[in-house]
Amino acid sequence: MAVIELRNVRKFYGSLEVIKGVDLRVEDGEFAVFVGPSGCGKSTLLRMIAGLEGIDSGEFLLDGKRMNEIAPDKRGIAMVFQSYALYPHMSVAENIGFSLDLKKVPKPEIRRQVEAVAEILQLTEYLDRRPAALSGGQRQRVAIGRAIIKKPAVILFDEPLSNLDAALRVQMRAELQRLHRDIGATAVYVTHDQVEAMTMADRIVVLNGGKVAQEASPITLYHKPDNTFVATFIGSPRMNLIPVQLSRPGNGLVRLTSQAGWSIDLPEPSPALPAGPARLGIRPEHLKLAEGSDRDFEAEIAVVERLGVETYLTVGSLSDPFMARVEGDVAIRPGDRVGFAVDRRACHLFGADGVSAHRA
Amino acid sequence: MAAPHAQNPSKRRGAELGAYATLSIISIFCAIPFFWVLLASIDGNASLFLQWPRELTIDNYVRIFVKEDGTRWLLNSLFVVGTATLIVMVLAGLGGYALSRTRAWWKRPFLYTILLIRVLPTTALIVPLYKVLLTANNGLGTVLREIFGNGPARQILRYVGFIDGYLGLILVLATMQLPLALWIMKTFFDTVPRDYEEAALMDGATLMQRIRRVLIPLALPGLGAAGLFAFISAWGDFLLPLILLSSPELQTLPLGLFRAFLRVNTIDYGFLAALAFVYLLPAVIAFGFARRFLVQTFSGGVKG
Amino acid sequence: MTYEKRVSWQLRLILLPSVLLLFAFVIYPAIYSVYLSLTNEALTGAAALNPRFVGARNYIRLFNDPKFWNSLLVTFLFVIGSAVIGQFVLGLFSAILLRRPLRLKPLFNSMILLPNAVPEVVAGFMWISMLAGGERATLSRIVAFFGVEPTDWLQTFPLTMIIIVNTWRGIATAMILLTAGLSAVSHEVYEAARMDGATPRQIFTRITLPLIAPTILLYMLVSTVSTIAIFGFVYALTRGGPGGATELISIYIYNQSFTAFQLGYGSAVAVVALVFSLAIGVIYVRVLKVEV
Repeated sequence: MAVIELRNVRKFYGSLEVIKGVDLRVEDGEFAVFVGPSGCGKSTLLRMIAGLEGIDSGEFLLDGKRMNEIAPDKRGIAMVFQSYALYPHMSVAENIGFSLDLKKVPKPEIRRQVEAVAEILQLTEYLDRRPAALSGGQRQRVAIGRAIIKKPAVILFDEPLSNLDAALRVQMRAELQRLHRDIGATAVYVTHDQVEAMTMADRIVVLNGGKVAQEASPITLYHKPDNTFVATFIGSPRMNLIPVQLSRPGNGLVRLTSQAGWSIDLPEPSPALPAGPARLGIRPEHLKLAEGSDRDFEAEIAVVERLGVETYLTVGSLSDPFMARVEGDVAIRPGDRVGFAVDRRACHLFGADGVSAHRA
Repeated sequence: MAAPHAQNPSKRRGAELGAYATLSIISIFCAIPFFWVLLASIDGNASLFLQWPRELTIDNYVRIFVKEDGTRWLLNSLFVVGTATLIVMVLAGLGGYALSRTRAWWKRPFLYTILLIRVLPTTALIVPLYKVLLTANNGLGTVLREIFGNGPARQILRYVGFIDGYLGLILVLATMQLPLALWIMKTFFDTVPRDYEEAALMDGATLMQRIRRVLIPLALPGLGAAGLFAFISAWGDFLLPLILLSSPELQTLPLGLFRAFLRVNTIDYGFLAALAFVYLLPAVIAFGFARRFLVQTFSGGVKG
Repeated sequence: MTYEKRVSWQLRLILLPSVLLLFAFVIYPAIYSVYLSLTNEALTGAAALNPRFVGARNYIRLFNDPKFWNSLLVTFLFVIGSAVIGQFVLGLFSAILLRRPLRLKPLFNSMILLPNAVPEVVAGFMWISMLAGGERATLSRIVAFFGVEPTDWLQTFPLTMIIIVNTWRGIATAMILLTAGLSAVSHEVYEAARMDGATPRQIFTRITLPLIAPTILLYMLVSTVSTIAIFGFVYALTRGGPGGATELISIYIYNQSFTAFQLGYGSAVAVVALVFSLAIGVIYVRVLKVEV
C-alpha cells in the first residue's frame, strides 16, 4: 500500500516561492505523471517527495503517515534520475546491489537479488560491465534495476527518457508501463513531454508556475481542459485560441464573432460568460475543410505543410494565425482562399481570465 | 600567421623553417641551464662552467647520501612536503565539496575571499606570520616544559613546534597551497552531478559512506591535480623553510642546497650540481604528471 | 532535523578545518601586519622585549627611505621586463608557432615547459653558472660569438639578468594560457576573415589579437601578482645586490625584517605590498567578471 498525499505543500528558494500550495493525492499502484514546461516546479515537487528537498510548509503523507522529517532513505521510496547517476567506478552488479551492500546484506544474498532483478530487466549478460560500456537503453535499465531492488512502495522517475533517442524512447515507454504493472508500486513520473504523459499516465498532474493547473486522466485533459494553459499544453499541434466577442442574439445561443468578421453560434456555456471579449478554443483537428453552406468561414492560407498522411494549414495573417489539421494530402497552395467548418461539439470557450466555461 | 593559410609551397616552406628556427632558439634558451647541472653532477672535476666531463662518475651522488646529510635532507623534504600535500588533499577535497554544494549566503563571499587570498604574496605575510608562529611556539613550549620538563620538551617541539619544528612548517606550507586546491576541487565538484550523491543517499548511504564510496572515486582526477600542484609548489618553496627552520636535523633540500652553496671557500660544484639534480627530479616528475591539468587549472583555477 | 538542514551543517563542518588554517596563517597575519607596522617591534634588542606603538612613524620613515622607493622601482621594472614583456612575447610566439603541425612539436613543448618545474633555488643555482664572470661562463661564450666582451653579468647588468632568468622560468605559463585562448577561437572565424580577403598580418592584428584580448589580460594580472611574490631565486642569485640593484620588494621586506631585525618597519613595507596585490586582485575579479 502506498498512497501519496500532498497537503498545501510550499517551497521557497530564499524569498522566491517555487511551489505555491500544492494539494494532491496519488492512489496506491497508480501511475501519476507530473507534466509542465521547464521551471514549473515539477522536478522540485518530485524531489520533495523523495526527501531531497525540504518541505517549507504543508505536509507530505505516505499512507497517512507524515514524511516531512523522515530521511530520504527511510521513506521506502526509490528514484530513477534523469542522468541515471550510475556510479562509473562500479560494475552493473555493484551499482544495482549498492543499497543492499550499504545495509550489510550478505554478499551471496546480494548476488541472488541482483541476478533476479537483472533477469527481469534483461541485464544478466552485462552484470560485470561498467556503465561506460553500456548503451543508453541499457543504462536506463540499470538505473531502474537499482530502484526496484529496494522493493520500494513508491518509485519516482525524473525525466528518465530524456537522454534517449526517439525510437528508444517509444520502446522504453512500453517497457516502463509493463514493469509498473509487474511490480505494482505507486509511480510518480516527471516529464515535459506531453506525449509521454498522455501515453503512460493513469493520472496527469499539469503544473504551471508552481501550482497545479489541472489534475485528471489523460483523456479528460484532452476533452475538458480547465483553462487555456492546459488546453494549449496538451495536444499537438496546440489548440487554437481565437479572440472573439461574445454576444447573445436572443435565440438561446451565444454568438461568437471573430475579429475577421465571421461568427458561430454555440449553446450557452456553464458557468455563463458575460458578453464581451472571450476566447474560442478549437483544436486544429476539429477544423474541417468545407464548401458552400457547410462552411462557417473562409480564410486565406498562409503556409501549407504537407506530411502525406495529413496536412497542416496555417490560416490567416502570420501575426495572428491559427492552424488546421486535415487528413490526407490536399492540393492547397499558399494564397488560396479556403472554406472551413467548425466542429461545434469540440469547441471550448474561455473567459477573459483564461478559465474554461465548459459546455453543459 | 595564426591561422593555417593556403599559401604557395615555397612560401609555406619558408614559414615552416622560420617556425623551426624561432622555436629552436626558444627551446635552447630554456634547456641550456639544465645541461650544466646534468653534466657537472657526473663530473669528477666539475667547475662553475659548462664543460664536457673528462671522467664520468657517480661520486658526487654517493657523497650526498653517504658523506653529507643529503639523505636526511631528502627525507625531511619528502616528509614535510608529503604531509603538507596530504593535508591539502584531504582539506581541499572536503572543503571544495562543501563549497560546490552549499547554497548558503556565505558561498560567494567565501569564494571571492579565496581568490583574493591567492593574490597575497607570501613574502608580504611572512613577518606577521613569523610573529604569530613565534608566539604560538613560546606558548606551546611553556606548556610542554611544564608537563615533560626541559629536555623532553625540546625533543617534542622538534615535531610539534611552530618555529623550528615539523608541524609549523607543514601547516603553513599546506595553508599556502590550500586556496588553489580548494578552487580546483570546488570547480571539479561543480562538474560532478549531484545526482550521484542523491542516488547514494536514496540508497541509504551516510555522509561518510557517500564520501568514501562514491565521491572519492569520482573525485580522484581532481584530487590528483590538486595534490600535484600542491606538491610542486610546496616542494619548490624556499622562503618558508629559510625562515622557519634553523636546526641542522630539520633541514630540507632547498636549505641544504642553499647553505652548501654558502660555504664560500669550499664550493664543490659537482656536489652542488648533484644535489640540485636530486632536488630537481621529484619536481620534474610531478610536473610531468601535472602537465595535462595545467590548462584546466589556469582557466579553472584562476578564471572561474 | 530535515535532510536539507543536516546537510548544510555537515557542509559547514567539513569546510571548517580549511577556514581555521586560512584564518590562522593568512587572514589573521594579514590583519596583524597592519598592527605590527604601527609598532617598533623588533627581533632583538630592547624593542623586542617591550614593543611600543609608534603610530605612523614607520610609514613616514618609509616614504623618506630611498631604498624603499628603489625596491618599488626594481619590482616594477622586474614585472614589466619579465612578466609583461619577456614571458609574454616569447610565450605568444611559442603558442602561435606550436599551433602548426610540426614534427618536433612534443620536443619543443617539453623543453619550453621544463623551466616551469624547477624549484626556485635550483633556478638560481643553474643561472649562477650561466651568468658567471669570465670568458668560460656560458653566456660570455655565447655573446663572444657575436663579438661582445665577456663580463661578470650579475655585477654589470644585475636587473637585466634576473629579468632574463624570470623570463626563462615563465615562458611556459604564458604559452599555456595563450594556447588555451587561441584554441578557443573557432576556425570558422579565420575562414570567414580569409573569405573577406584579410592577409595573414591583418588576420593576426584584427582578428586574433582582439579575440584573445581577455586571455592576455588574464595572463597579465595573474603573472603580475605572482611576479611580485617572487623571492627565492633572486635571493639565491644576488640577495638583492649589488648595491640594491635587484632588491625586489619581497627581498627588501626580508632584509629589513630578518637581517636588520626590524619587524615593525618590515611590516610597513609588507602592508604596502599587500595593498598593491589586493588592488590588482580586485581589478582582476572586477574586470574579468570572475564567476564564482
